[in-house]
Amino acid sequence: MNLAILIPLLPFLGFLINGLGFRRIPKAAVGLIGTGAVLGSFAIVLSLFSGFTGTAQVVPVYDWFTVGDFNVSFGFQIDQLSLLMMLIITGIGSLIHLYSIGYMHHDEGFGKFFAFLNLFVFFMLLLVMGSNYLVMFIGWEGVGLCSYLLIGFWNKNPEYGYAARKAFVMNRIGDLGFLIGIFLIVARFGSLEFASVFPAAAQLQTGDAGLFWITFCLFIGAMGKSAQIPLYTWLPDAMAGPTPVSALIHAATMVTAGIYMIVRSNVLYTLAPETLHIIGWVALATALLAASIGLFQNDIKKVLAYSTVSQLGYMFMGLGMGAYTSGFFHVMTHAFFKALLFLGAGSVIHAMSDEQDIRYMGGLRKKLPITFTTFLLGTIAISGIPPFAGFFSKDEILAHVYEHSPLMWGLAVFGSMMTAFYMFRLLFLTFFGEFRGTHEQEHHLHESPLTMTLPLMVLAVLSVIGGFFNVPEILGGTAKLEQFLDPIYQYARQANPEAFAGVHLDHSTEFMLMGVSVAGAVISIIAAWVIYISRKSVPAPDEQVSGLQQVIYRKYYIDELYDAVFVKPIQALSRFFYSVVDKGGIDRFGVEGVGRFVKGLANEFRLLQTGATGFYVLMMVTGIAVILVYSLRSLIFG
Amino acid sequence: MIPEVVQRIPLQYYIFFASALFVIGIVGVLTRRNAIIIFMSVELMLNAVNLLLIAFSTYRSDPNGQVFVFFIMAVAAAEVAVGLAIIVMIYRNVRSVDIGLLNKLKW
Amino acid sequence: MLSIISLSIFGIVNLFLGFLKSRRILLPATLLFLIVALILNSMDWNQQALYFGDMLRVNNVFVNFAGIVLITALLIVGISRHFGNDEEHTHPAEYYAILLFSVTGALMMIGFENLIMLFVGVEVLSVAMYVLTGTDKRNIRSNEAALKYFLMGSFATGLLLFGVAMVYGATGSFKLGGIASYVQMASMYGAVSPLLYVGLLFLFIGMLFKVSAAPFHFWTPDVYEGAPTIFTAFMSTVVKTAGFAAFYKIASTAFAGVYGFWAQSLAVMAVLTLLIGNITAAYQGSFKRMMAYSSISHAGYLLLAVVAKVPSSQSAILFYSLSYSLATVAAFGVLMAVSESRQFEGRGDDRYEAFNGLAKTNPLLAFVLTVSMLSLAGIPLTAGFWGKFFIFSAAVQANLTSLLVIAVLMSCVGIYYYFRVIIAMYLKPAEGEGISVSAGFTLTLVLTTVLTLLLGVFPDVVKNIF
Repeated sequence: MNLAILIPLLPFLGFLINGLGFRRIPKAAVGLIGTGAVLGSFAIVLSLFSGFTGTAQVVPVYDWFTVGDFNVSFGFQIDQLSLLMMLIITGIGSLIHLYSIGYMHHDEGFGKFFAFLNLFVFFMLLLVMGSNYLVMFIGWEGVGLCSYLLIGFWNKNPEYGYAARKAFVMNRIGDLGFLIGIFLIVARFGSLEFASVFPAAAQLQTGDAGLFWITFCLFIGAMGKSAQIPLYTWLPDAMAGPTPVSALIHAATMVTAGIYMIVRSNVLYTLAPETLHIIGWVALATALLAASIGLFQNDIKKVLAYSTVSQLGYMFMGLGMGAYTSGFFHVMTHAFFKALLFLGAGSVIHAMSDEQDIRYMGGLRKKLPITFTTFLLGTIAISGIPPFAGFFSKDEILAHVYEHSPLMWGLAVFGSMMTAFYMFRLLFLTFFGEFRGTHEQEHHLHESPLTMTLPLMVLAVLSVIGGFFNVPEILGGTAKLEQFLDPIYQYARQANPEAFAGVHLDHSTEFMLMGVSVAGAVISIIAAWVIYISRKSVPAPDEQVSGLQQVIYRKYYIDELYDAVFVKPIQALSRFFYSVVDKGGIDRFGVEGVGRFVKGLANEFRLLQTGATGFYVLMMVTGIAVILVYSLRSLIFG
Repeated sequence: MIPEVVQRIPLQYYIFFASALFVIGIVGVLTRRNAIIIFMSVELMLNAVNLLLIAFSTYRSDPNGQVFVFFIMAVAAAEVAVGLAIIVMIYRNVRSVDIGLLNKLKW
Repeated sequence: MLSIISLSIFGIVNLFLGFLKSRRILLPATLLFLIVALILNSMDWNQQALYFGDMLRVNNVFVNFAGIVLITALLIVGISRHFGNDEEHTHPAEYYAILLFSVTGALMMIGFENLIMLFVGVEVLSVAMYVLTGTDKRNIRSNEAALKYFLMGSFATGLLLFGVAMVYGATGSFKLGGIASYVQMASMYGAVSPLLYVGLLFLFIGMLFKVSAAPFHFWTPDVYEGAPTIFTAFMSTVVKTAGFAAFYKIASTAFAGVYGFWAQSLAVMAVLTLLIGNITAAYQGSFKRMMAYSSISHAGYLLLAVVAKVPSSQSAILFYSLSYSLATVAAFGVLMAVSESRQFEGRGDDRYEAFNGLAKTNPLLAFVLTVSMLSLAGIPLTAGFWGKFFIFSAAVQANLTSLLVIAVLMSCVGIYYYFRVIIAMYLKPAEGEGISVSAGFTLTLVLTTVLTLLLGVFPDVVKNIF
């Protein structure tokens, strides 16, 4: 028995125990079981990682089903990519579980929360460990379900329920694309196993039409899960869930599933440059749009949510350039600092007695020193100031973008300036200046317990040093991550060697690019300082916002647009179908007609069963006679 | 070796005779309403089969068919015991063995 | 093979146990006997052998089918808690003994290699079932069911025997191998005796009666409804599994050479069975009677696999029998619990209405029944889905497209009547009190549910054995 099987099994056991024993297991034990399960998985992943020899292996669990030649097995793929993802999921997952013990302590659904969280980790591990697209899809659907359950965790509030539904529906749209992609893969390659699809794909020509549709459909799936235009609006609303959920699912892990999937399918994407092109532009648009919305949001979690959408855009941008490692590197560093920021925000919300509006905060740095320090480190990291984690990963993406198109690079740098601005705006408004909340809130202000601050500190350290995993050669590093991940591009390289030639920029250009982006970030920070510290301005109440600012504050009215363009017409159409077509046509002649026909037939058949033995025997004998005459017709009639 | 006595009657005769007996049994089951007589008709069917088996067995000089007949007789006896018990049970409850009265279970 | 011998002995031991004062020992003893038989049965794995003068063949197919029958019998004994309510008139020792004897008969039907063995097996099973159907002696409905079953059953035995005699006349052998070699030779030279054709038809008709395929299904609804529920469960699972094991064996080995002759008629009967079973079930007001018709419809699906007669038919029948047996035992178990605590017109209420609001009063029972219904309807993630899936893919392999279309349509009709009870349980208001059931009973039901779900998620675990 391979240890790898235990990795998803432990969280699943945790889910079973906490789920079945809901309200019966004491809170202390619930937290211990839930956190312990994920921590146990983390330990196993670490041991696998340290014993990893560099060769990918597939751990078969069992043969799922076989239809003719088409066989789907349930197996786990242990290679560089899945190991790193597993490290992120279980590592950050256990920190967030630990954090939740403190954060959710007063909630009556404590056990339920941990059960769902464990279930999420289980599905997420399935997603990244699966050795074929079907297992990945099961995980994909499973995390969607858990996300739905956790967004609507406080389902007493109908608005939260609505947010959960929105997330679910948007994800379903994406999932449909993913599913079609899977069908196309089956049709094309006759298998879903990575180990047989990728080598087969490597034999194909670049620009193959079938591959374009496969990759495009898969990307639609990624759009839904990883919140890209046009399927991004669910993610900000998903902040209705408890903050640890936002940190784990909507920042560090689930939303990066789309990126994982594309990196995993790198050979397919390398051979479909059109799709990569589409991805690049969609990602850039998402990054800019979300960053600009983030500029004027006043809800601490909403700012972080838009920031997440925007950062996901950067990751996809990297993928769109064919720089899979850069995209994935950003997934890692982003997981560190965004989880940190969300947990920090959670700590603030906890201290503020559930207040989330930054207009009513301020001056918290003295009351919450640990939260402040760690939040500051996270903010610096996301803004791309060297030598923090975000700098290295974002800069690598930007270098690839520059090589592809300087125009896109310019826009991307503009986006990262916005990032620095809104993040520092958030920081300044929350932790500096005077306290703007009520007296009661001020009275309650307190630093969070150790279970909450410990994960913050660990993540802060990671946010600071995370970038050193992949220091580019130009800065004296050895690009460790790049070398480590190299084997997973084996088939893509074989199919299209040019795509992996690396960055061709000379050193002075590269230094120039770095300089520009760092300078941009610093300028943004200074601007934020001037506005929010020196001038002490505070965003106006909702009703006084006007003009362009209001358009942005209202998120460009995208939700309203979707409502008007999709939801309302579909509702109208469905009402029409319901009242006219369905009731009048299908029901009367179709469904109900068939129903009536079956029932009428059933009544006739039923009456055959007269209850009289003689009649039964007669029917049997008649049957025998008919069968005999029919079967032996050639003998009887010559 | 087929005994000469048997050979005087061709095999077809046995087949037709047994089949006729069998059909008489079926007709009896169909037309009678008394459970006991129906039961007797079934026994008639079984005996037709026995006759058929013995005829085949003799013509093929193969004892297996006759062995089978013993099995049929033994099992039929067991069936008779159970069947009569069921009929007696019904008679106790409804004072009749007319199957036409049994129509509570239908539709 | 030891399992057959041991079960016969255990049956007799059980009769002696009846002399003891304490009746409590019977249930655990019977369970123990069945478990021992199951263990002995599994010892035959990979031990190909012929026994009793080449009359019985033990191979892995035998072990699989016998395993299903034994497990089903175990589960049914597990939910048989109410023998002996009426102290004076019940004889639990006899019931358990007869149950064991009938399982012996089922095993003989599964392993037969000689038509004599088939006949003896069929009769041991059937005669035992006649008795069990009539065990509720004071109940006129039980009486009626027993008499109908007995009369029609013995009539069908007559047909079966006539077929055997004719086949013997044509081939000169009772052995499957002897018949098969005759059929092969004769059909090669185009000189098949008409006696064989007549015999084959009667033999098939006799078997079709036992598995309740239309137009020989008429006994089924009445007998299933009238018999005590616990024996209805037994009839619709063990008898059906053994019947199909025997039927498939005889069709695919002895008469494989004249496949063209019987396939078409059998296909027509399969369609008829599917239509009558499913459509009539849709109109029933009684859950128990609906289950009877549903068992007819499942015979139709199983017939599909026999008609297909491709190598994968065997494992499809095995898997289907297993999934169907598990779900049926669960359904009848819940029905027993419900109808005993709710009265209607002076007897146990077996209408759909009896299940109203069960989800509120007994959520566990409601869940068990829901999973069972989903499995019978063939909804994914239950064993029943894979059962249908394997049967349908066998049919696809044999190019039975039109049959397949009808089967799929009929399984849609099935969803209608299976879901009716789910709706009643979850959406209708509760009437009456919660039902209290014993721990062993609950455990057995939960076990069937867990197995159904496990097979639904991991079908290949079992499929690889079959």
